[in-house]
Amino acid sequence: MAALKTVLIFTKINIKRFFRDRLAIFFAVLFPLIFLIVFGFLVNGNNNISFNVAIINHSSSLASRQFITGLKSNKVFKINQTVQSSSVAQHDMIYNKIDATIVLNKDFGQIKNHIPTGKVKVLYTENSSLAAQTISSLINSTVVKNLNNHLVKSSKPFIVLPQKLNYHSLTTFDYTFAGILGFSIIGIGIFSQIEIFPELKKQGVLRRLHTTPIKVWQYFLATMLSQALIGIIAIAIQFVAAVLFFNLQINGNLLEILIFTVFSIFMILGIGLAIGGWAKNERQAAPLANIIIFPMLFLSGTFFPQFEMPIWLQRISSFLPLTPVINGLRLLTTAGKNLTQIGPEIGLIFVWFVIIYAIAFRVFNWE
Amino acid sequence: MSTDKKTIILEVKNLKKIYNNHAVVNDLNLTVNQGEIFGILGPNGAGKTTTLEMIETLRPIDEGQIIVNGFDVNQDSLSVKKIIGIQPQTPAFQDKQKLKEILEMFGATYRVKVDWRQLLNDVGLLDKANSYAESLSGGQRQRFSVAVALVHNPKIFFLDEPTTGLDPQARRNLWELIKTIRDKGVTIILTTHYMDEAELLCDRVAVMDNGKIIALDKPKKLINNLIKKGFKKDQKVEQANLEDVFIDLTGKELREK
Repeated sequence: MAALKTVLIFTKINIKRFFRDRLAIFFAVLFPLIFLIVFGFLVNGNNNISFNVAIINHSSSLASRQFITGLKSNKVFKINQTVQSSSVAQHDMIYNKIDATIVLNKDFGQIKNHIPTGKVKVLYTENSSLAAQTISSLINSTVVKNLNNHLVKSSKPFIVLPQKLNYHSLTTFDYTFAGILGFSIIGIGIFSQIEIFPELKKQGVLRRLHTTPIKVWQYFLATMLSQALIGIIAIAIQFVAAVLFFNLQINGNLLEILIFTVFSIFMILGIGLAIGGWAKNERQAAPLANIIIFPMLFLSGTFFPQFEMPIWLQRISSFLPLTPVINGLRLLTTAGKNLTQIGPEIGLIFVWFVIIYAIAFRVFNWE
Repeated sequence: MSTDKKTIILEVKNLKKIYNNHAVVNDLNLTVNQGEIFGILGPNGAGKTTTLEMIETLRPIDEGQIIVNGFDVNQDSLSVKKIIGIQPQTPAFQDKQKLKEILEMFGATYRVKVDWRQLLNDVGLLDKANSYAESLSGGQRQRFSVAVALVHNPKIFFLDEPTTGLDPQARRNLWELIKTIRDKGVTIILTTHYMDEAELLCDRVAVMDNGKIIALDKPKKLINNLIKKGFKKDQKVEQANLEDVFIDLTGKELREK
C-alpha cells in the first residue's frame, strides 16, 4: 500500500507538470486535433465526387449551347473556364489539372432528317481512362439524355427506379476516425516517451532517482496512470470535435470506449517505455522508434483501410499491436459492438501487453 | 576527538573495478568514521567517482566488499540506499516541477512525509518553494540538491565535487552548510579538486591515484609529513591571498537574485 502511495504521488506530479508544459499540451492534445480536422475535411470531401473538365466548343448551334448549359447545371462537373484551346487543354491534362476535355466539333447540332445531331468527344490521357469513362457515361446519362428526350418522344419499356433507404451508412470519416485515434495513442504512448527519456538520462535525473529505493515498476505505473489520464482528455476532445464538425455517429457505450482506450494506452505506452528505457540517448531512441512506429501507422489501418492491402500483408498487419486498438475502437464507436463482442481484439492487446512489458522491464536502465 | 573511540560507519575492503582489462579501482581499502567529514582527493581518472558509485550501489562491484553501517552493498543494496544521501556532480531535476514538489517526490521514494518548509529553510531557499528548479542559480541549485539528498535523514551524505563552478561566496556558503549537517551527526564523504576546501572542511582525506589510495590522514598531518621530508615553498607564506582580497572587496554575502 505504501508502495502504491509513492506511485500516486509521482502520478500527481506528472500530471501537474503536463499542464504546465505548453509544448506537451500542444503535442498531446492540439496536434492530433489539427490532424483530425485536416484529415476529416479531406475524407469528407471525397463523398462529393466531382470532375474537373474543360470545354472546347467549335460549334455555334443552339444544341451546343443547350449542351453546355446542361453540363454546367450538373454539379459533378467542375468546368475550367480558363481553358479555351486544345493545346492548353492538353497541357492541363498532362499536369492533371483537369481530368478530361470535352470537345464539340463544328458540325455539332447540324440538322439531319429534321433533328439536330452531333457527337460529344471526350479527350483523356492514358492514365485517366477510369475518370474519362465515368465522365462519358455521366454525360450520356444526364446531359445528352435530356437533349434526346426533348427531341424524340418515345416510350421507354424498361426503366430504372432508384430507391433511397432510410438508413445512414458509415461515412468515410466514421471509418477513418478510429485510425486517427490510433495515431493519437501512438503520440501519447510512444512519441512522448522517446522525447522524455533521453533528456532525463542525459541530465542524470533518472540516475538520481536510481539512488533512491524507487522500483522500476513504480516509475512505470506512475507514467502509465498519468499518460492514461492525459490520453483520455486528448481523446475526449477529439470525440467532441468529431461529433461537432464531422457528425460522427457514436453507436457504442462511452464507458466501454473509455475502458478500452485506457487499456490500449497502457499497452502502446509499454512500447514507449521499452524504447525510452532501453536507449542511452536520442540517437538510439529515434531510429528504433521509427522502425517500430511507421509499419504500424501504415499497416494497422491508420491511413489506409486494411482491406486495400494484399492478403498476405493483411495477415501480418492484423497482428501488429496497433491493429486491434484501431479495430476495437472502430467496432466500439461506430459499429455499435460492446466489449464482450470484441474478444479477439482484447485478447491480442493483452498478449502484446504481456510481451511488451516483459521486454520493457528487462531492457530498462537508469542511465 | 579521540581517534580510538570512533565507530566505523563505512568499510571498504579490497575493492576492485575493471573496465576493458584496466583496473580503474585496484585493491582499495578504507574506513570512514561516523560523524567525520572525509575527503577523497585525486586527479581526474584516479577512480574517485567509480569508487563512490560502487559505495552508492550504482555500479556493480567486481571484487571486494563494502559495508555501510553494517549492510553489505552487494547483498542488501536497498538497506544501503535508505541510509545514504547523494549529491551528484551536476544536480538536475525535471522541469516544470516546483521545489516543494521535488522534495515531496523524493520523500515518496523513501516513503517518508517530508517537511519541505524545514528542509528549504535549512538551505535558505524557503522563499523559492514555488519556483521551478530550472530557475535556480548554480549555487542555489547545489543547496537545493543538498536538501533533496537529506529528505530521508540519511546517516551518510556523499557529495561529488559540490563546489565546482561556484563563485567564492557560494562556495563559502556551501561549506557552512556542510558543517551544519555534520554537526547534526551526519557522516560526510566528499570529493574535490580544491585543496583549500579539503584542508578547511575535511577531518581526514584520502589521496587517490591510479585506482589506489596513496595517502590517508588528517590534512594537517599530511602537511607536516611533507615538511618533515624537507619540503620548502619557493615563496614565503603570505598573510593573505587573492581570494582573501576578493572576499574582502566583495563581501561574504551570497549573490543571488
